[in-house]
Amino acid sequence: MADMVNVLIDGKPIAVEKGTLVIEAARRLGIMVPHFCYHPKLTYDANCRMCLVEIEKIPKLQTSCSTVCTEGMVVRTNTPVVNEAHQSVLEFILANHPLDCPICDQGGRCDLQDFSHQYTPTTSVFSDTKRVYQKEFFSPLIEKEMNRCVSCLRCVRYCDEVMDVKALGNAGRSTMTEIVHFAGHQLDCEFCGGCVQICPVGAITSRLSMYEFRPWMMKRADTTCGYCGDGCALILQTRDQKVVEVMSAYGEGRNNGDLCARGFFGYQYVTHQDRLTSPLIRQTDDQLHPATWDEALPALAERLTQLKLAHGAEAIGGLISARCTNEDLYFFQKFMRLTIGSNHLDSTPRYGHVNAARALRRVQGTNRWTVSYEDLVQADVLLLIGTQVTAANPIVGLKVKEAVKKRGATLLTLETLTPSIDTTSNITNLSAKHLTIQVGRHGAAVQGLVKAVFDENLVDAGLSARAGELVSRVRAAATALPYPSDVDEATLRAMVRTFAGARRGVILIGQDLLQAAGGYEATVNLMDFLLLIGKLTQPGWGLAPLTEENNEQGAVEMGAMAEYLPGPTDITDPTARSVLAGVWKEEPPVSKGLRLLEMIEAARSGRLKALIVIGENPVRSLPASLKAAEALEKLELLVVQELFLTETARLADVVLPACSYAEKNGTFTNSEGSVQKVRQGLDPIGDSRPDWEILSSLSVLMGYPLEYGDAKEILKEIRAAIPSYRILGATPEPARVDSRTVEQYVSGGFADDLATRYRATPSPKSNGHAWHLRVGQTLFHSGAMSTKAKGLLEIQKEGKLIMNPVDGERLGLAEGDRVRVRSTAGEASVPVTMLGRIPAGTLFYPESFREDLASLLAVTPDPVTGVPYGKQVTVTVEKAGSGGGK
Amino acid sequence: MNKYEPILLKNMMQPGYTGSLADYERAGGYQALRKALGKIAPADIIEVVKKSGLRGRGGAGFPTGVKWSFIPKDHQGPRYLICNADESEPGTFKDRQLMERDPHQMIEGMILAAYAISTHVAYIYIRGEFVLGAKILENALAEAYRAGYLGPNILGSGFALDIYMHRGAGAYICGEETALLESMEGKRGLPRSKPPFPATHGLFQQPTVVNNVETLANVPYIVNRGPEWFTAIGRPPKSTGTRIFCLSGHVKRPGNYEVPMGITFREMIYEIAGGMRGDKPLKAFIPGGASAAFLTPEHLDVKMDFDSVAQAGSMLGSGGVTVMEEGTCMVWAAENLLQFFNHESCGKCTPCREGSLWLLQILRRIEHGRGRQEDLDLLLRLCGNIAGRTVCAFGDAEIAPITSTLQHFRDEYETHIREQRCPFRPQPAAELITVGH
Repeated sequence: MADMVNVLIDGKPIAVEKGTLVIEAARRLGIMVPHFCYHPKLTYDANCRMCLVEIEKIPKLQTSCSTVCTEGMVVRTNTPVVNEAHQSVLEFILANHPLDCPICDQGGRCDLQDFSHQYTPTTSVFSDTKRVYQKEFFSPLIEKEMNRCVSCLRCVRYCDEVMDVKALGNAGRSTMTEIVHFAGHQLDCEFCGGCVQICPVGAITSRLSMYEFRPWMMKRADTTCGYCGDGCALILQTRDQKVVEVMSAYGEGRNNGDLCARGFFGYQYVTHQDRLTSPLIRQTDDQLHPATWDEALPALAERLTQLKLAHGAEAIGGLISARCTNEDLYFFQKFMRLTIGSNHLDSTPRYGHVNAARALRRVQGTNRWTVSYEDLVQADVLLLIGTQVTAANPIVGLKVKEAVKKRGATLLTLETLTPSIDTTSNITNLSAKHLTIQVGRHGAAVQGLVKAVFDENLVDAGLSARAGELVSRVRAAATALPYPSDVDEATLRAMVRTFAGARRGVILIGQDLLQAAGGYEATVNLMDFLLLIGKLTQPGWGLAPLTEENNEQGAVEMGAMAEYLPGPTDITDPTARSVLAGVWKEEPPVSKGLRLLEMIEAARSGRLKALIVIGENPVRSLPASLKAAEALEKLELLVVQELFLTETARLADVVLPACSYAEKNGTFTNSEGSVQKVRQGLDPIGDSRPDWEILSSLSVLMGYPLEYGDAKEILKEIRAAIPSYRILGATPEPARVDSRTVEQYVSGGFADDLATRYRATPSPKSNGHAWHLRVGQTLFHSGAMSTKAKGLLEIQKEGKLIMNPVDGERLGLAEGDRVRVRSTAGEASVPVTMLGRIPAGTLFYPESFREDLASLLAVTPDPVTGVPYGKQVTVTVEKAGSGGGK
Repeated sequence: MNKYEPILLKNMMQPGYTGSLADYERAGGYQALRKALGKIAPADIIEVVKKSGLRGRGGAGFPTGVKWSFIPKDHQGPRYLICNADESEPGTFKDRQLMERDPHQMIEGMILAAYAISTHVAYIYIRGEFVLGAKILENALAEAYRAGYLGPNILGSGFALDIYMHRGAGAYICGEETALLESMEGKRGLPRSKPPFPATHGLFQQPTVVNNVETLANVPYIVNRGPEWFTAIGRPPKSTGTRIFCLSGHVKRPGNYEVPMGITFREMIYEIAGGMRGDKPLKAFIPGGASAAFLTPEHLDVKMDFDSVAQAGSMLGSGGVTVMEEGTCMVWAAENLLQFFNHESCGKCTPCREGSLWLLQILRRIEHGRGRQEDLDLLLRLCGNIAGRTVCAFGDAEIAPITSTLQHFRDEYETHIREQRCPFRPQPAAELITVGH
């Protein structure tokens, strides 16, 4: 083959693709050329000089990490000359190395140790003065010990090339070269832990586990991260019922070894002292008291049975968190539908992801992505709309960065961000074209995209011929709208030209679009956009919604929502019902199920008598104005399965301690549709049990036993019930567009709500409130759970209102000053901070501290999907009076 | 006295010559440009320079025309010319004089080079300490723009060129062309691993030619008078033209002397530079900047051209000739140079980063009376472990003073160790061993 070259390494022949580095070719032959600075993720730097090899016809030794294989090349990696060179590099490094291996956390898994063992004599001839760096305070999370550094610059290069953060640099010269961050304060960065992971020695280590282990003392569990929908492979390293550290290996998982702050430093909530360790039962004194499972479960089963007999199954509802495994979610909906007999059930995707799931199913017949992460990296153009990708889905963010920085893809962004240099990366800094979208105006921008397809004459000719009516009616509807006045028309149109003209393109959408009013319509309109430019059915193209929580995709697919059966299939679909009945040996109930807000209202009105809440916390998650707590207090029975005594759990009659993901087995399905293993790393904390096991015990006690030996047996049933779960694995084939569904949509399905989807979206009502406030995901937290993680609290311990520095200056505010924020619903006083990436006139508050602002928010349900929109509000801001601080 | 006809230093040696545009034009300046632009094809300029045998005057001596011809002809997108004016080699001070005293000569050379490689953007990377030179060049560039020698349509030929000046920030390594490129890109000036070479992947990964000031200053004369004229000067075929040698150290008349290549060091030191200070005997000399190996009196009849000096075991390098008289301690000289190299080692690659301080510490110990017998073998072994194993030529440069003094003056080292003192110092020196800088 013309694109292959043949080389001979240590006498072994191998054919490799042109451009392959000698070190990689050797690795494929099982020959490990020792190295420090080389890492396949990074551009080679050839600075450590450890990987020198002999190449015939080249007089000097060559670094195998920077030499490309050429036809007929003859390489030797193990000759006296080569070994002497390797030995000499080690001699240079060890001259100044402290040899403090006994107290070094890298000891036992250190490249320098291993190579020293392999190459060098036990005594050094170095007898001069060793270089000694003074110990420097680096960060509460990351320890820097420069005396151990081999200056391979992997950390510096990773931080720049992969993360695009550039928090680290190398300073000084000669032997005094050292890794530094911007001085004058402690390290301030994305805290992805990449530098800790990529350091080949003990120069950069995690402080969270300092001196707590030797590598061989730890027990390893390969599992999947429980924070966001990216679905990163994690290695949980545990010792004595404690998670000691979390890491991820190069080449493993969908994240290929990369992690974010939540994944790397956010694990300690699992063993937090506040974890619930036994069931709690509300006694006659109206207090929750510890109880045994044997006390709690039979009484609970009896109470549920009584309520069901007295008021019917329809008086009982259930809510479950998408943090749970597929097995929990599947079990939950089966329990609700069969043991209880009610369709009143809902789960986390109701907060926004269901908009995407429904829109995708409607137009393309599958709720799944039709692309994979690999397609993101391979795309020539990526369009990001309301994703806040670095904060919400950091690893997908890395795929975008890789596409742009390594492959030269064109990035187009419609985000509530402005480009600015800062301590964390800002995806819009990489954009070829960017439009700053006001809070809540992404839907209008999407309408503009569709309009531009017509104005730029980019409608696919094939579609025009095949679906004239769709084209003409969407044209009429979309072009009747003006371009949104708050974005630059020329840029928007140029974006559409670039996107439509690409070879491969993917649209990523996220929470700013999906959790805002009109999120469903906007997603369907984006499907129109892809259809119109003729790309919807093209391989490598697709619309990819990102999920905020780890298993929202799974929650939809397990049917843990009122309107969906496992699949997901529509609960009203007779074929789907009979297929499922084949697996269940019984049909699910026919009644229309209540969704999240409807259940809250039913509780308030007394129609709903009992609610089973698993890992959800509606009291906190829904705006205060909704008075969810008041509604829940009207229930005759509130059961909460939880890790912690949350706001909702405090109202419960029975609280049952549940296992975290670290204590159970199962699977999670990520945004992309990869179904991945969750493996137990710890024994259950206290008396906690996996959620499905709790429900299983209840089902037995209630006389409708749903019994499984373990999570695997549930997965087996899931695979019988859901075709897309028959083939599992880390790299699934992306789902295919269902042409019959597209045909239905094109030939009339589009028309039902055309007028609604293309009506002018007015700017959010201001009522004299000039500021647009958005509550959302930050990089350093996720929900309330992460606020129990010590590592993340070290980075961000409280919520602050973030505004643009220009706005801050205008209001005469300094960092940390308190402001009074008022909306029509209420007011709050919070501290402020300034960041250039927050567009002028907009405000941001981290969702994980939303209780601070709960009084400001109001909720509007989506008329179609029932999503409770309540994360955006217009407000007034003023500096709190002096002495107004807490 | 220097009896040879200067080329590059000629103008500035005229009484009253200020280096202004008017002066330069009066002296025949910018005639080559008028002759070439739009009249001689760029490829033919490259051919002329190739034929002239002009080789780089920065240190490595690479044939200039050949370097220009490496720029890919079919490249889409920008390409760049950079004048390396980061003259930092100890004992070298010729480029500074060329820039300060006759800046247009270099600018005309740059325009011709830019024309030859068809670039429209050129940079001058000037050593940060050259404040005066930078001011003078800035004025000269402004003059050239005003006169239409730079800008969108040079002399009505349709050829466009902008020249920008970029001042360095004080690192010796930035004279290494790939470190220079990194520095110009706004990064820390660290040498790149090669290949790829700048001719294909240079500034911002675009094809780039980097030429020394003196090299470029030669170009107008070659274009004007033809390659045959140039090859008649010096020692053809390998060493054509003149070189400006920077004489320093224990000579009577230190300074810059432009001579045809091929005269002997003896003539240079004893006739042109006036002989040894105080007529003391010569002990050693460095023929081509601090990176070049020491030579001894037996090499005085070596000819000052590329090949002859290489044959003698050193290199013509940057043209900095540092002369040392009898009584100069060779261990101290090596230590002094290592102090420089240790300070300037960029820290990128292991052998140089860790080796430079180790070598310096050993030399300091020997010089200050704490040497050990095994130190000499250790020095040689460490030097051997640096040679040819570093990212850039700095590693080879920093060991040259040690290996060459050990080669020629090993007995002096042995005396230091045996007597536990420097025989050239009246008193044993105070404890001087420190770490770092």
